[in-house]
Amino acid sequence: MMEALSYDFFRNALMAGLLVSLICGVIGSLVVVNRIVFLAGGVAHASYGGVGLAFFLGLPVLPVTAGFSTLAALGMAWVTLSSRERADTVIGVLWAAGMALGIILLDLTPGYNSDLMSYLFGSILAVPDSDLWLMAWLSAGVLALVAVFSRGLLVMSFDVEFARSRGVPVRFLHFLLMGLTALCVVMVIRVVGLILVMALLTIPPFMAERRARSLPGMMLLAALLSAVFCVAGLYLSYALDLTCGATIIAVACVGFVISLAVPQRRDAATQAGAKGSAA
Amino acid sequence: MNTPAIEISDLWFAYDGVRVLEQVNLTLPAGDFLAVLGPNGGGKSTLLKLLLGLARPGGGSLRVLGQSPGDAGGRIGYLPQFTQVSASFPITVLGAVSLGLVRPGLDWFKGRAERRREREAALQALERVGLADHAGRRLSDLSGGQRQRAFIARAIVSGPELLLLDEPTASVDGRSRQELMALLAKLNRDMTIVMVSHDMSTVDGCVKSIACVNRSLHHHPDSRLTPEIFAEALGVDQVAGCPVELLAHGPVPHRVVFDHDNPDCCGGRHASNDDRGQTS
Repeated sequence: MMEALSYDFFRNALMAGLLVSLICGVIGSLVVVNRIVFLAGGVAHASYGGVGLAFFLGLPVLPVTAGFSTLAALGMAWVTLSSRERADTVIGVLWAAGMALGIILLDLTPGYNSDLMSYLFGSILAVPDSDLWLMAWLSAGVLALVAVFSRGLLVMSFDVEFARSRGVPVRFLHFLLMGLTALCVVMVIRVVGLILVMALLTIPPFMAERRARSLPGMMLLAALLSAVFCVAGLYLSYALDLTCGATIIAVACVGFVISLAVPQRRDAATQAGAKGSAA
Repeated sequence: MNTPAIEISDLWFAYDGVRVLEQVNLTLPAGDFLAVLGPNGGGKSTLLKLLLGLARPGGGSLRVLGQSPGDAGGRIGYLPQFTQVSASFPITVLGAVSLGLVRPGLDWFKGRAERRREREAALQALERVGLADHAGRRLSDLSGGQRQRAFIARAIVSGPELLLLDEPTASVDGRSRQELMALLAKLNRDMTIVMVSHDMSTVDGCVKSIACVNRSLHHHPDSRLTPEIFAEALGVDQVAGCPVELLAHGPVPHRVVFDHDNPDCCGGRHASNDDRGQTS
């Protein structure tokens, strides 16, 4: 590990992994408890259109993709609120349309782009300093917004119906959450790639949800788990010469299986009570 | 306290051009305990949404606690249907109850003193519903009946004058149902209660009046269940339309009791509904 740390690219990779863990713990928790994993998947895939657009126009990839994904996410948020029963179908269409747009735009871009694959599988070992700074600013912005609206987000995530009855601006918070998810997805794509982004956004929060006693606690635990997976995955991929993004997710999946095998702590009183009152 | 809790006159509401509610008139005095019965799709939940200000009436007037519905939000406690909340959500009982103190709009960050006040209010509400010992447990570790009581604590933590309950006894077992109804009877001393239910067995001692909603609303300012009420509540023309919910298997005798802890109400008016030997 020490030897690996002497390389700049490895230090950058480690920093990127930790930043992504932080953001995934926070946003992933909100995505999981609000049950919008499918929406997040739609945003992740539609964001590929942003990658294509950036190459086509010859602009920096991360900012263009961030803008494109945010717009796609707000569109999807609008669809889910306005035509609820058709929402999943429409998201499926946007999901495919975004990817197709990205590939066609890349086809139309002169010259061969070797970078294309890196957005499918991630390129954590090639994160330049400039991207690292941009990721840091994005994280800070996302975390600040979550902190400012924490109460509303908590009430909405727990019980939408009740939140609405108390005059909490549920519509606004829904759009906000989708926008934040888009920014988060763009950052994660850089690290583990489009194909694996959902894994990092869902596995650590899912593991944390069953053990945490509050939403902030769940976010913290998910971020810690994520960080462990990222560091362990990075090290294994370096030691065994494997693809980074896939190794990180493989470690996460092993952790997931172990967490399923370890029984949840439940108090005995509940189970006794449930049995007793059934009589 | 002389303002009626709810005043509705000539109210109607249409959903996609179809009138769900029509010609609704209701004056509910403060301190009442109203059970709203009626078939599914008859407009019960719509009526609650109108009272909460989540839906705008097509016409007619509607006053809640003397205010228009959207403005009375802070003075109304609300218990949504049971199914709305995910069972695995990471939150303690105390945490869930204190969410009932959220204010309209974007409720910003809280100082330490205010957080402590909220915590104390939540503990007090838990005390009232008899869950004080469970404050620190995870909500998902509670039984169905306990969880429902925690949600009632969330509804009353802000000290409301009117409590709106949507199917409070759905998906809890018989004993928990009785405990819940006893709790509601106790709370009714301090606040007006409107309870939507399709379960006629909830209409026991503590309910003071009944409204049957099936597009129109019939208010019966008395908690006696008459054959007409059964017919209206089940959405059938005749009682002969088989009110299955009233039948029990086997040799278990049961009866409809109007009131068991208020001596004024029961003098000689107990109707018994002895159905031994009947099968459904």
